[in-house]
Amino acid sequence: MAALELMPAAQPALTTTEAPPSTSSSQPSQKSMSKAERRELQEKQRAAKIAQKQQPPGDAPNKPKSKPKPVAPQNPTQPSGADASRSKDATSAPTMDAAEMSKSRNLRIFSHFGLPKHGPGLKGDIHPCIVRLALQFSEFKICGANARCIATLTAFKTVIQDYTTPPNNTLSRHLMTHLSPQITHLVSARPMSVTMGNAIRQLKLEISGSDIDMPEQDAKDLLCQKIDDYIRDRIIIADEVIQDLACRKIKDGDVILTYARSSVVEKVLLSAHKQGKRFSVIVVDSRPLLEGKELLKALTSAPPVSWTLSNDSLLPPPPPIPCTYALLPALPSLITEATSVILGAHSLHSNGAVFSRAGTALVALMAKQHSVPVLVCCETYKFSEGVMLDGFGKNELAPSHLFRDISTSSQEPNLEILNPLYDLTPPSCITAVVTEVGLIPPSSISSIPMALGRISL
Amino acid sequence: MNIWATYQRKLEDEQISPPLAAILSLVDLCATSTAGTMFELVKALNEGSDSLKQHSPNPISINAGCELFIAFVTLFPHDSASFSDLKMELVKQGETYVRQALTYRRKIGELAVDFIKDDSVILTHSYSRVVMETLLLAHRSKRISVFVTEARPRGLGVKTAQALTAAGIPCTVILDSAVAYAMDKVDLVLVGSEAVVESGGLINAVGSLNIAIIAKSSHKPFYALAESYKFHRLFPLSQYDLPSHNPRILSFPPPIEQDNILGHPSSAVGSEVPSSRITQEEIAKNNPDVDYTRPDLISLVFSDIGSLTPGGVSAYLVGMFAG
Repeated sequence: MAALELMPAAQPALTTTEAPPSTSSSQPSQKSMSKAERRELQEKQRAAKIAQKQQPPGDAPNKPKSKPKPVAPQNPTQPSGADASRSKDATSAPTMDAAEMSKSRNLRIFSHFGLPKHGPGLKGDIHPCIVRLALQFSEFKICGANARCIATLTAFKTVIQDYTTPPNNTLSRHLMTHLSPQITHLVSARPMSVTMGNAIRQLKLEISGSDIDMPEQDAKDLLCQKIDDYIRDRIIIADEVIQDLACRKIKDGDVILTYARSSVVEKVLLSAHKQGKRFSVIVVDSRPLLEGKELLKALTSAPPVSWTLSNDSLLPPPPPIPCTYALLPALPSLITEATSVILGAHSLHSNGAVFSRAGTALVALMAKQHSVPVLVCCETYKFSEGVMLDGFGKNELAPSHLFRDISTSSQEPNLEILNPLYDLTPPSCITAVVTEVGLIPPSSISSIPMALGRISL
Repeated sequence: MNIWATYQRKLEDEQISPPLAAILSLVDLCATSTAGTMFELVKALNEGSDSLKQHSPNPISINAGCELFIAFVTLFPHDSASFSDLKMELVKQGETYVRQALTYRRKIGELAVDFIKDDSVILTHSYSRVVMETLLLAHRSKRISVFVTEARPRGLGVKTAQALTAAGIPCTVILDSAVAYAMDKVDLVLVGSEAVVESGGLINAVGSLNIAIIAKSSHKPFYALAESYKFHRLFPLSQYDLPSHNPRILSFPPPIEQDNILGHPSSAVGSEVPSSRITQEEIAKNNPDVDYTRPDLISLVFSDIGSLTPGGVSAYLVGMFAG
């Protein structure tokens, strides 16, 4: 902060705009800026103005990072927990101020990580189901790449059905402008996942390609049908194929190690059990989300299989899956037991790197070290065309107010808990990626979109 | 018709490798089949390939050929007037393919020869037709000398050595266990293959993995030669994930004469005799025929579609089957 405030003093002549001093650090004159730069500056100024308006005058300007959204009372959906913390904030205002200052200093190198942006409340007419979905996202009630994508598409179906084209406009031209603020609202709750991005891109394409002469209701029905098809083809059916392929790699007597919870991995393990394979599972888990507990619950409460008749003899139901639950620090002593590692993914980049829950890279690295094969289950709609080299360039932080079980964070002014949600597993640590088009080595990911014809879409 | 007998007969031809023999057997099956529809024909072909696989102790290379032919049949545009015409067309195409495939070795040899420098020492493993072709081709323009491993249990390295010596190439048979000893004298390793799999790895006569690991650690290039009909849609995760693996391999014999050791000679009746005599056949029985070489150990794969890195092989396979 100190450095930022010194800068304008050094170059006072250049700041001709009326921007607040903290944001106009070192800007060249507007004429020498490109169009994009000018727009960026404008937006910065606008944001600063809003921030100034909404905050009591004593606060630091870039505060709203981790503090719960300072909402006006007309928003009744704000959970009561946040209300309580807000009132606490109000009482301890001076100490919190100091904490905020140091926090912004500590987090400065991580400040580009996506955090829920609690900007100005509802902007534009946001559909109620999007408002609800955004809350579910920001509270981590809906979490996971597949779940979020399905939930988003389902909500968009409602939005599309409730939409009427304004007069003198066409659906194919106008619907997207109606959807954009909804998407913006969802993104403000939690950064967009790659899966959502891919699905929305596909949806945009379908909208712009819809026939201009079609009656409105028919066009809307067709779009909803397209959304259903997308969910079915790219997620549901893809998962079934992946289950089938991954199950073939599970043999009797195997010990499967998995990390956190992935919906696909859960399905794979359950269906392998259903096929009567005798294997055991080690669930490795880690704070802050502790998603592995959910997986453990699902595996241990696998539906009881009744006695089966085979070759005229009654076979007893297979015993439940033997499971071990351990936290990440126990991994080195458990990895030697494992015969294979099966992981889920948030997204897969074209250099073969897997972006997944924080901790996955550690598990994959350790497995490689012990030459245990690592399988990553990932549908092709999670593929991203970009290249990622580390988990630092782009990531997301778990909002500290949701996962604060170390009670010190509010009392220790110099302590900031950093919980990146994802990390990047380099392709060299992965043996194979299980997709609906087969098992492929991570280095050949880039040849898949072509095979699926996604480039032409 | 007995497809296994047909397959055996086709294999008698020195030039025909197992995948091609499998394709030719399926072509014969196609010609004699009474199937009246595409569905019946594909069903008959699948049954034929299953029976081939069941008879063979090592189904991997047969599978590669069968898969290729069945994929070809199912994707073949059938616009001919009658189904028997279509079948004749398929038979013709199959035979043309095999005839063409026989020229692949020459093509591969021409690609690989450029990587062999004058006066180089080459290590090869067991016996491979495509390696022989390449070495003989290299011998015409370059001075080469060859180490060939004995390749137990089948001992095919001796066959290679005989053929090379007859052609005038200096050649020495080395023990499988002497590969590490010899590696420092070697300039490059050249091996054939049973199948090239989707990971870009290689399935070949047992011992190839040892050679690949030793070559990697001595920083010597390890080249594999494979005709494109050996490319196989398979992704082994480990040695025990291969279709050729069975519980008998690496199994332990039931323990004997425990009582003797414990000092109770009561039930040990002449048990000294079987334990002391372990025959070669017995050893071979508990050992694998093939092993899987990981892609990171392979420098290049020469094939009739070009010289590929292991990554390129998998990209080609993914593009061919996943499309």
